[in-house]
Amino acid sequence: MEVTISESGPFKVVALRGEVDLHTSPGARSAILDSLRSGRPVLVDLSAVAYMDSSGVASLVEGFQQARKSSLEFGLAAVSPPAMNVLRLARLDKVFPIHASVAARLGDRP
Amino acid sequence: MTTEPAPERVQRTASDLSQALDILATVSQDFALLAALDDTLRHALQRVMDYMNAEAASIFLLDSSGRELGCPVCLGPVDVSHVRIQRGQGIVGRAVSTGRVQLVRDVRLDPDFDSSPDHQTGFITRSILCAPLQIKDNILGALEVINKKGGDGLFDPDDRSLLRALAAMTALAIHNGRMAAALVEQERMQRELELAREIQGRLLPAAAGGDFPVHGFNLPVSEVSGDFFEHFALADGRVWFGVGDVSGKGMNAALLMAKTISLFRCLGKSESSPGRLLGVLNRELLETSYRGMFVTMAAGLYDPDSDRVVLANAGHQPPLLRDSGGAYRELEAEDPPLGILEGAEFGESAFALDGAGLYLFTDGLTEARLPAGPLGVEGVRQAIDALAGLPPPDRVAALGASLDAAGARRHDDVTVMLLERPAPGPWRLLLDQEFPAATAALADIRNALRVACREAGCPPQAEEQLLLAVNEACMNVIQHGYRFAPGQTLRLQLVERGPGLVVRVLDRAPPVSDSELRPRDLDQLRPGGLGVHFMREVMDGVSCLAPPPGYGNLLEMTKRWK
Repeated sequence: MEVTISESGPFKVVALRGEVDLHTSPGARSAILDSLRSGRPVLVDLSAVAYMDSSGVASLVEGFQQARKSSLEFGLAAVSPPAMNVLRLARLDKVFPIHASVAARLGDRP
Repeated sequence: MTTEPAPERVQRTASDLSQALDILATVSQDFALLAALDDTLRHALQRVMDYMNAEAASIFLLDSSGRELGCPVCLGPVDVSHVRIQRGQGIVGRAVSTGRVQLVRDVRLDPDFDSSPDHQTGFITRSILCAPLQIKDNILGALEVINKKGGDGLFDPDDRSLLRALAAMTALAIHNGRMAAALVEQERMQRELELAREIQGRLLPAAAGGDFPVHGFNLPVSEVSGDFFEHFALADGRVWFGVGDVSGKGMNAALLMAKTISLFRCLGKSESSPGRLLGVLNRELLETSYRGMFVTMAAGLYDPDSDRVVLANAGHQPPLLRDSGGAYRELEAEDPPLGILEGAEFGESAFALDGAGLYLFTDGLTEARLPAGPLGVEGVRQAIDALAGLPPPDRVAALGASLDAAGARRHDDVTVMLLERPAPGPWRLLLDQEFPAATAALADIRNALRVACREAGCPPQAEEQLLLAVNEACMNVIQHGYRFAPGQTLRLQLVERGPGLVVRVLDRAPPVSDSELRPRDLDQLRPGGLGVHFMREVMDGVSCLAPPPGYGNLLEMTKRWK
């Protein structure tokens, strides 16, 4: 798994690529939590996620909870089909704000 | 005047010494080069005799009783190789019994001297020098030289020292030669045992295909086995099967095993009643019975057309019948072992197999010692239950392998045979692999599963779900079972069964109960604890089973597709 952090408008964008499993999810988790600590809203780009297990889901949940505590926006963008299947299984597909893409979320904003 | 002889004397001693060293070196080289001990001794003795300037020389060696000396090599005008000397008799005997060099300058003055050979041969013995052949405290025999040529014909103290050195070297060579010969003999025996093992292995049936109803294995505890199993199909499709155990171990048990298995195969071709067949086998074995050896044997005939089994049992460990629901019936043996009772008759039981598995085995299986105690019949049942998800040939092999996995000490040969009607549809082991129980191995595990799923023609969605469930199961083992302890492993088995897959995850972590596998309440939003929910959601069946010996947990999950 690769993690890249970039900035897009007001957002920190954490892009995950490859397989997010118990071995790699600690990297995703710290990237998400670090980004939130900057005080900016966070979007997690899941477009290139080929596989995600429950530890990957847990990293997203943790980010979501941390953002709520800090009153920051937290959303998922361009969720790949494998990642979406896992989110549905965890019944989280209605809990996370999910955007078609990072650009789509930016377009929401005037 | 007095100074003249001294340098000469010194010179002679130096030359003596160098000559002595020379001969010692040559003799030791001889010993190293020549393979056959007698040739070596003859060669060495020739050099000893030449150097000592003796008229005759001989080597005497104690026999295996240690009381009598024989003469394997002698040189000189008289052949004394037929002579036998009692330990302690004569001058040779004195050297042997005292362990000291005997210098008899003039034999006429020695009361122990035996002059009878001289009388018989006309040879005149004047002086004898005889050194014991000795390795530490162990006396092997003696090295004797007779009559010094030239001079006064008598040996002197210098000769004594030299012969002692030569004798030490000769003793060492004899000792080494004997060790080498013993080693060669040992290697020959080992080769013969290996050959016997190979021949015996060929007497057992080759592994049968998955569509054959009988599978078995034999694990000998030593080179050769007293156990056997046999199965073969008749032209009409009926199948003979049998498992036996010869009393005792080693080569004699192996030979009786060879006889029994050959007779069984031969008689099975013309006989159609297992009871009668055991009766004939009993008579044949009694005719040539040897030292009370006997054979316990269970044998039967299975007819695939009618699904009926006829079974007879000559004093063998009761077979286990496990029905398709997992209930067991032990089929007791009423009749005596083969080779004991004249005119013994052997009863038969007949039953429909009806999806059951009939397990025949020897007591080497039940008596295999696990760290917690003997496996026992109960342990055999548990092991079979734990392996029931595997196809019959793999299940039988796994029964043997699980003993080793459990660190069982086997005291006896282990033989297991299974009669089970082949299931309709595919049933095969696609993957059986040990992986490190480490997060870094999860990607490898998923890749191995992908390959196996594609081999089974698993639909893509089912594959994705199976991968997710197995990944979660392995995560649980790593996180909760082993608590991330390094160096641990887990074993993954993937079985294609009907239109679907069965996956088995085995670990050696402390046991986890089925109730701990309950999914958590999803309404609570919190990270973690989703794994069991995922597994139950995407798989058709998830259950914790009692693991086979040597494992802590067995999780079995089923995925079916149309």
